[in-house]
Amino acid sequence: MVKLLIDMHAHLWDGHFEENKRQILTVCESYGVSKVLVSSLGGYYPDEEEIARLNRATHQFLREEPSLIEGYCYVNPGNPDAPDVLKKGIEEYGMSGMKLWVATFCDDPRVFPLIERCIDYKVPVLIHTFYKAVGQLPYESLGSNVAALAARYPEAKLLMAHMGADCLRELKPIQPYPNVSVDTSGSIFRRDDIDYAKKLLGADRIVFGTDMPGISFLLNYGQIEEADLTPDEKKAVFGGNALRLLKRS
Amino acid sequence: MNGIDVNCLWGSWPFRKLYKNRFEDLLKIHSETGIGGGYVSCMNSIFYNDPFEGEADLHEILQGSGAYRQLLTVNPTLPAYESDVEKGVERFGVKGVRIYPGYHNYRLDDPCMEGLCALLRKYRLPLMLTMRLEDERLDYLYLPRRIAVPDELLKFAGSVRDIPILIMNLRYGEILSCEDAIRNQPNLYIDTSGIKDPVASLEEITKHIGDRKILYGSQYPLNALKSTLYEVTMAEIPRESKDRILYRNADDFFHS
Repeated sequence: MVKLLIDMHAHLWDGHFEENKRQILTVCESYGVSKVLVSSLGGYYPDEEEIARLNRATHQFLREEPSLIEGYCYVNPGNPDAPDVLKKGIEEYGMSGMKLWVATFCDDPRVFPLIERCIDYKVPVLIHTFYKAVGQLPYESLGSNVAALAARYPEAKLLMAHMGADCLRELKPIQPYPNVSVDTSGSIFRRDDIDYAKKLLGADRIVFGTDMPGISFLLNYGQIEEADLTPDEKKAVFGGNALRLLKRS
Repeated sequence: MNGIDVNCLWGSWPFRKLYKNRFEDLLKIHSETGIGGGYVSCMNSIFYNDPFEGEADLHEILQGSGAYRQLLTVNPTLPAYESDVEKGVERFGVKGVRIYPGYHNYRLDDPCMEGLCALLRKYRLPLMLTMRLEDERLDYLYLPRRIAVPDELLKFAGSVRDIPILIMNLRYGEILSCEDAIRNQPNLYIDTSGIKDPVASLEEITKHIGDRKILYGSQYPLNALKSTLYEVTMAEIPRESKDRILYRNADDFFHS
């Protein structure tokens, strides 16, 4: 395994916090993972109470494993308390970024004030982005949504998750926006996707992520290992690019 | 390691460009990863109106390749496909027949399957049943029919107990939903190409169905081979189990 291995996309799932923590820690120990960025998720449209419970779970994990685990503050931009949730997550819980899932599109106007706060905090925003030929959720963001957000906020550090799932259609919209990186997480492990992403975006905009424990760590690790990346590019994807995103100064 | 990859593909894929689809690419990555041979299917044959033309191309490619064997792609809804099987055996020495009911749009209880199984018995060939080739969420232009799991799959499997059947690209949850049949029915096997969901998937699957019914299959070059390979080689399972999955079970399957 590489020396610096940062997984920018992992989860604790509501009702499975302890089991998921054990799974993540086992992977870290078995495969020498240096750091994992975790967010806690539950239902698609969480209310304020659920969001609070989920972020407490992430915070607890950070406190238990401070050298290994960092957290994203999960917000539902549709909830009135979303700005306060973000403030608490970053300032009180010491989280390292914000997570947007499927409650709203990422370029919904209710997201804008949250992005502005993330710019102030200099933290990345992890945006679930997933095209589906079947089963698309009503507010599930696509590359075009991320591109619209990136155009509005060129100083925001945006991390488009899963390479949009179908990178062949979802990367082109974000190609012109250097403030958008992509993570490799998820269950899609087509042979050529990383090479294609490198061709369109450059290796410095690709960040290793897994979506564990729901998705296999080794699946995502193998996909990067097989890609046509130089040793330096591989190091950047496995850790260097993540460090750049996480840098606050 | 001298692994065997039972799910190698050669040819073109109509829905996206493949960067590593020459036979030399397959040989290279197998050599790098300690895989000594494989069973190769032709992707072109899935889509050709006369699949046998693709099979002839694959046969030519595999000439002199030693440890690489041909699996014959068959669409049993086409007229006179039986002659393709006969010629595949006689001219190409194919080691099995691979079907794609999702892409060719027939159910496993379609009467054409009875005829195909009769041919397989006659020529003592195993059946490779492809559940899917792409994650359904990424299908482009054409949505293949989904084989219902467990109902449709197990009804078919339960009716064919005398032909070795390798189910390819069965997903984690689907495997567990069929675990009794896979574990207990001697002629049923799965490959590893669909195992991708939770961490420690293979550890969990082997707890449920043991390690004797799983064959290593990459589905390269559609899939990243190292993804499927690491799922086996880096799994927390005994060395002996890994050896079975990586090559011993394939030996048993193809020589039973």
